[in-house]
Amino acid sequence: MAGFRNALPLIIFLAIGFAAPLLAVIGYSFMPERSFGLLHPPTLENYAAIFNGNSYISFGWSLLLAVLTVAFLALICYPIAYGLARVFGPWAPVITLLFTIPLFVSENVRLYGWLLFFIKNGVLLGTLKSVFGLELESWLFTRPMILLGMVYVYVPFMLFPMTLGVSMVPNETREAALDLGATRWQVFREVELPLSMPGIVIGFLLTFVLAVGAIAEAKILGGQTVIPITHDIEIAFTYAQNWPLGAALAVLLMLVVGILVLFVLRRFDLDAVLGRR
Amino acid sequence: MSQRPAILVLKNLTKSFGKFNAVDGVDLDIADGEFFTIVGPSGSGKTTMIRMLAGMEPATSGDIILRGERINDVPANRRPTCMVFQSLALFPHRTVGENIEFPLKIRGVPPAARKEKALALLRQLRLPESYYGKSVLKCSGGERQRVALARALAFDPEILFFDEPLSAIDYKLRKTLEKELKDIHRETGKTFIYITHSLEEAMVMSDRIGVMRAGKLVQVGTPNEIYSAPRDKFVSEFMGDVNVIPVSLAGGKLISASFDRSFTPPGLPDGFASGHLVIRPEYMRFLDSPDDAENSLSGRLYNEYALGSRIQYQIRAGDHVFIVEKLRQQAPALDLDQSVLIGWDAKDSVLVRD
Amino acid sequence: MEGMSRSGRHALIWAWTIAVLVFLYIPGLCIFLASLTASRYFQFPIQRWGLDWWRKTFDSIEVHQLFKTSISIALAVMVIAVVIAFFGALAFARYNWKGRSIYQKLVLLPIFFPQSVLGLALLLWFNAIGLELSWKTAVFAHLVWIIPVVTLVISIQVYSFDPALEEAAFDLGATRWQVLREVTLPVLLPGIVSGSLFAFLLSWGNFPLSLFTTGADTTIPEYLYAKMVAGYTPGVPVLGTVSTLGAALLLLGGYWLIAMRRRQKNSREGS
Repeated sequence: MAGFRNALPLIIFLAIGFAAPLLAVIGYSFMPERSFGLLHPPTLENYAAIFNGNSYISFGWSLLLAVLTVAFLALICYPIAYGLARVFGPWAPVITLLFTIPLFVSENVRLYGWLLFFIKNGVLLGTLKSVFGLELESWLFTRPMILLGMVYVYVPFMLFPMTLGVSMVPNETREAALDLGATRWQVFREVELPLSMPGIVIGFLLTFVLAVGAIAEAKILGGQTVIPITHDIEIAFTYAQNWPLGAALAVLLMLVVGILVLFVLRRFDLDAVLGRR
Repeated sequence: MSQRPAILVLKNLTKSFGKFNAVDGVDLDIADGEFFTIVGPSGSGKTTMIRMLAGMEPATSGDIILRGERINDVPANRRPTCMVFQSLALFPHRTVGENIEFPLKIRGVPPAARKEKALALLRQLRLPESYYGKSVLKCSGGERQRVALARALAFDPEILFFDEPLSAIDYKLRKTLEKELKDIHRETGKTFIYITHSLEEAMVMSDRIGVMRAGKLVQVGTPNEIYSAPRDKFVSEFMGDVNVIPVSLAGGKLISASFDRSFTPPGLPDGFASGHLVIRPEYMRFLDSPDDAENSLSGRLYNEYALGSRIQYQIRAGDHVFIVEKLRQQAPALDLDQSVLIGWDAKDSVLVRD
Repeated sequence: MEGMSRSGRHALIWAWTIAVLVFLYIPGLCIFLASLTASRYFQFPIQRWGLDWWRKTFDSIEVHQLFKTSISIALAVMVIAVVIAFFGALAFARYNWKGRSIYQKLVLLPIFFPQSVLGLALLLWFNAIGLELSWKTAVFAHLVWIIPVVTLVISIQVYSFDPALEEAAFDLGATRWQVLREVTLPVLLPGIVSGSLFAFLLSWGNFPLSLFTTGADTTIPEYLYAKMVAGYTPGVPVLGTVSTLGAALLLLGGYWLIAMRRRQKNSREGS
């Protein structure tokens, strides 16, 4: 069991650092309102409060924005993933690097850059005004702006799994399909898409899950036009000082995300995606 | 061969990568229904050549003419030709049946007719019909081979290309599949163009063979012509173990500098100045006296190797190593380091230029 | 797509990729521009250029403290993450063992988890077991998310590792420890280097996990966020630019190191 021996430190760490905190959240979600300990008799009142309240609006927004983000990213990233896997050749590592760098800069900072770009007298509107004499209203603090921020932040999370997927398609199967008379479109539909599906689905899943948990985009670029579910949770924890309510909301979010992740991952052979023959 | 019309004509076909010509001015006519094999070592340009013919690689210059029409600019998916790849390139997410039906589906053939055709092909390729619904990933190497061929045949191409499809298969199965492929060629009557690095494989199947070297076809001929009359040292050595003696013409005699003597030639080609005398190991004989053959040499037995039905002897004479092969039942019993006399008749040797 | 030539398609893909890259770098450029203004508020086109805010920021003792905290956390995260993830990656990709498939999915779970929720969960957990929050608890929090990422990064290298190398070394008389030191570690070094870079940089730029777990200590992303929400000065873009450039330089340096090593190896083998 050399494998298990090597896995053990990581398993223990995740038990303490991941499983235990989640259990703590679940525990808190059954504590009475505004309590800060885990030793009270359990109650369902937090869940009742959620179902009677209007948190479903935040849930709805979070899910909708996540779905839209995934859809836009799929269209934006597929040509690039194809390029990285098939077209760019010696340039591919450099381009990958360029897509990686923003990952390491706090998303707050990057979103703030967009704020400076779109704000009144900012880079875009200031330029339009001084060069063309155009005076436009700023598009900041609107819903499309939140979507733009989310699409922007999650590009690498869609792109990299998708690239892995597209590189899984052996070049010769592509050529064979062409040789057997398929058009470009038929090759895409019959061979490329199904064979790169594992990578694509993992990209979808990753961006969806991260986007459902997104919070900074709505805060920085969205003003208060949309309150995503994570913002609700944060408010419960901070201003409202109601940890059990926040915990209950977090549990519901974890359920949605967890079920989706487990359902999708169960059907995947990770070895095949990550390159083990 | 020549009475049949040419289906494919190549004129000065060239493929350059930068300054390097992978395929260098190839001219070739291939007859309708012919089994033509291009043989060459790796890097000789044979794969580039077949990829150009199939339309997967654009030619740099020259013409590819199929039944009188230049098809250089026709893309692979509109050429009436089809390729069996080295990796086979079966679609791993599809069943055996779906793989075979792929070209039919592309053309919009209705499902019932597709299935009928696929089942017929399974029978023709000696695969059980129950394989129709089997995943290609669960098939053995030989079965995949047949599925790949069935898929190509379903396309009903004018020419079938083969890019070393048997190279990854073990010896015994390969021998069976070579014969099967030749049978399929006979049954379908289609033109097969095959590439391989194994001349042995080419010999078994082909009507004609083209030997390729550094982007050029150095010799084209029937297996028999290539075997018995190789044009140069490269072709002769490519045929397997041969004895090669460097020679030059001096004073009307064929002189070997390394042996400091002359040999009786099989007839001198016009204008021959220097080259190699080639003798196949099975034409070499053990002699009792130097008079028993037109040419003779003495040497020592260095080692012997049992090659199934034959025994091969390695004889060292001066700086040279000679190979002699005898059928097992005619093989003499020799001791290591024993002195031996070997020789050959002039008619059994070939004189090639450099 | 049909009917378009191959080179035409490729040109389109290039153009699209470059457009998306430009889109990706617009915010960084805006922040850089905003740091070069001499006035208190950002206005474009910039009226008065100047590096005053760069000087002010670098002289600030508060900023020095921020750097110290952020770097301490990132270094600690890097060292711990790489050690645990190295063995974790061997279990992920090298060995065939009974629980491997479940283990692989378990490792992925924290990556597939909203970080802000994870941060809150850790806050509850630290509170429940009575840990006082400081930069050390932040290290722990970062590790929960970063170890799995680094495990994946190293695993990709491990997948191309031929186990026969270890067996050969073992067969030639090496002890288990010697096999690790002489064969496994050197062969997997590129994966370990990129894993270390990822660990450091992901920790360096992390905000959602730090927010709830640093207690009285403050990291650069936290400070920037607080200043963005209330109390903007051009010191914010200065610090943003510095932290971005630092990350980019470190990444390019690491990339260069790996490329150099590969070239060295190739030239040695190429003779």
